Amino acid sequence: MSEKKKTTMEILREKVEELLRTDRLPHVWCPGCGIGIVLNAFLRAFIRAKMDPNKLVVVSGIGCTGRTAGYVNVDSFHTTHGRAIPFATGIKFARPELNVVVFSGDGDLFAIGGNHFINAARRNHDILVIAVNNFTYGMTGGQHGPTTPTGAYTTTTPYGNPDRPFNIPHLAISLGVPYVARWTTYHLMQLQNSIYTALHRKGFRVIEIISQCPTVYGRRNEMKNPLDMMEYFRKFSIRKDDATAEEMELTYNGKIVVGVFRDVQGIPTYEERYEELLRRAQK
Amino acid sequence: MKKLAENKPPPKKRGTVKIIEERCKGCWYCISYCPTKVLVVSPKLNEKGYHPPELKEDPPNKVCIACHLCELFCPDFALIVEEIK
Amino acid sequence: MKPGYYFWSGDIAVAEGAIFAGCRFYAGYPITPSSEIAERMALRLPQVGGKFIEMEDEIGSIAAIIGASWAGEKAMTATSGPGISLMNENIGLAVMTEVPIVVVNAMRGAPSTGLPTLVSQGDFMQARWGSHGSYEIISYYPDSVQETFDLMLDAFNSAERYRVPVMFLLDAMLAHMYEKIYVPPEDSVERVERKRPTKPPGEQLIYEADEDLIPPMPRIGDGYKIHASGLTHNEKGYPELTPQAQERLVRRLNEKIRKHQEKIWKVEEYRTEDADVIVVAMGSNARAVRTAVDAARNEGIKAGLLRPITIWPFPYKYIEKYSVDYIVAEINYGQIYHVVREYADNKVELLPKMGGELHTPQEILHALRRYKK
Ligand SMILES: Cc1ncc(C[n+]2csc(CCOP(=O)(O)OP(=O)(O)O)c2C)c(N)n1
Ligand code: SF4
Ligand SMILES: [Mg+2]
Repeated sequence: MSEKKKTTMEILREKVEELLRTDRLPHVWCPGCGIGIVLNAFLRAFIRAKMDPNKLVVVSGIGCTGRTAGYVNVDSFHTTHGRAIPFATGIKFARPELNVVVFSGDGDLFAIGGNHFINAARRNHDILVIAVNNFTYGMTGGQHGPTTPTGAYTTTTPYGNPDRPFNIPHLAISLGVPYVARWTTYHLMQLQNSIYTALHRKGFRVIEIISQCPTVYGRRNEMKNPLDMMEYFRKFSIRKDDATAEEMELTYNGKIVVGVFRDVQGIPTYEERYEELLRRAQK
Repeated sequence: MKKLAENKPPPKKRGTVKIIEERCKGCWYCISYCPTKVLVVSPKLNEKGYHPPELKEDPPNKVCIACHLCELFCPDFALIVEEIK
Repeated sequence: MKPGYYFWSGDIAVAEGAIFAGCRFYAGYPITPSSEIAERMALRLPQVGGKFIEMEDEIGSIAAIIGASWAGEKAMTATSGPGISLMNENIGLAVMTEVPIVVVNAMRGAPSTGLPTLVSQGDFMQARWGSHGSYEIISYYPDSVQETFDLMLDAFNSAERYRVPVMFLLDAMLAHMYEKIYVPPEDSVERVERKRPTKPPGEQLIYEADEDLIPPMPRIGDGYKIHASGLTHNEKGYPELTPQAQERLVRRLNEKIRKHQEKIWKVEEYRTEDADVIVVAMGSNARAVRTAVDAARNEGIKAGLLRPITIWPFPYKYIEKYSVDYIVAEINYGQIYHVVREYADNKVELLPKMGGELHTPQEILHALRRYKK
């Protein structure tokens, strides 16, 4: 039999299967939910980075995005709501040789887990944070959260959201986070490449992905089906790596500035600083 | 000359899309974003009650060019693009 | 620590006892009267190659030690009631995902901020069922600095052996009290390590329990592709949200402790053999009771002291063993009292105190005099 040689893309696709707990598919996410797209991009970036899957740890909190940990065929932890980052901190600090990735939702990371986010960022733990921002608490039925744009309609903002959302890249930059990027689920390759780059960087790295939750967010906000949300991302996003804080702000169904907003190297991580401390303590 | 070789148009790739129907949830991103429109909604329903896509190759216009875009868009890991030749 | 005699507080004994037991990871957030544990750990852990981190709060602290435990470390945190209240959700996670950790609670006057520097024993029930759900946990409570040091080894050993969080109770009195203590040689004790998988990756199901009802625990990074979730899960570790899976898992989580409870029980029986009346007291409070029991004996009252050192699972067979009247002297408004009542044949009297100070020997003696025959 003459087996044709597999192309890179075909090999990539095969390896994606290996990194999934395929016995658990189809997954729980709704039709058109963006989380699967982000997971796909993450797995491809990880495969391209040629890193050891046995050293990869994926930690998620609670939420639709939090279910990600349950689908990756590596050491993976589905923790408690908001606590993915400190859980990951414990793993990374205990065993710095591990490659620790937090994969969680906007509510999990920035509302209930907000304190952990800012402090872990401040300490610069060597952790990659994949933050899926779908503007809402998907899992609990679409209430407004810390990233819901002002004016948006959710189950707890029936008159429009009076709240102001976090500007996540700006927040991360203000905390000294060395790698900060934002993409949407429409930016398939940019997202994948960005994760690929971030996997090679050190320190606390934050990638925000604007993602669609057509089921409980989109349909209340003039985007009835998955495609409407994807089209919103396609039409309304602009790449601007040197965007100002104001430009990064997200408004209700307004433009989405994407890009790599910060990529600096050489900032010592918490784990590196502790290694140095250990040397002094043991003298 | 190296420069010239690089400027050659890429070889015409052809592919086909394998659909893992039981994983599909019918978002149809694949159908919408396929640049050559080789996928259409299948009339059949899968186990979960969704209409997966199906191939409707109609050469020479509607052929899969193995760009893999549908594979990247698919949130359900339901598509595999196989390259022919 | 070199073997020999030291003059330590309960807090220092906790830290040193933990290091002696093999603890190499501490995450915590300061709170009176447990802060000295963190301070000692910050000083000592780096010297033995361990990791100390001061987290942003108690929730982060417990999450971090659960992660560190999966990474293979013996890990602990220490706090007081307000901190335990914050940790409780994740104590449930550790119970559900079967993670060995030690959580120290130096009990202080409560509810709420209460009496930060003063003693109380109001957290027995919180230790038992502070997190939501029906589960078994192990809890120890020493009464001296020496016992604090010694019992830390039991705490880590039990956590590792049964894959369960151990709630180590202490009280404000004990935490800050200094006593002379003896540190034995390093190799004079048995240190238990969690069971490791015997099957290679791929064959080992992550939550496949052995006959002792305890599943072996793989370590992150060893290729086992662990999946752990606080959701009800099956032997693979995968969420399985059915009454059947819940029945299997929650029953086992309870049974794995109940099955071994007699090995976990530690109790001090002081002059109880011929007693007519036994005072049940725990922690520092038992010290006053011991004095009172001796005084009562001098007056011809056949009194004894029963001191559960293992608070949970409650060593109820020791209560059943004696057909006597019981007095439960505790620094709360009746917690262990209700448990004793469940198992006692005769009268059970509650001698409560709301907190701030221990019972005095005179108060206990006064109560005992009513049992003079
Ligand atoms: C302590 C606690 N509070 C509340 C909840 C309920 N809850 C589950 S998921 C969730 C929101 C998740 O939102 P997000 O992180 O944005 O994830 P998404 O579902 O949108 O992906 C909430 C409030 C919980 N599980 N635990
Ligand atoms: S509710 Fe929203 S976020 Fe959750 S799976 Fe459905 S589409 Fe995705
Ligand atoms: Mg969300």
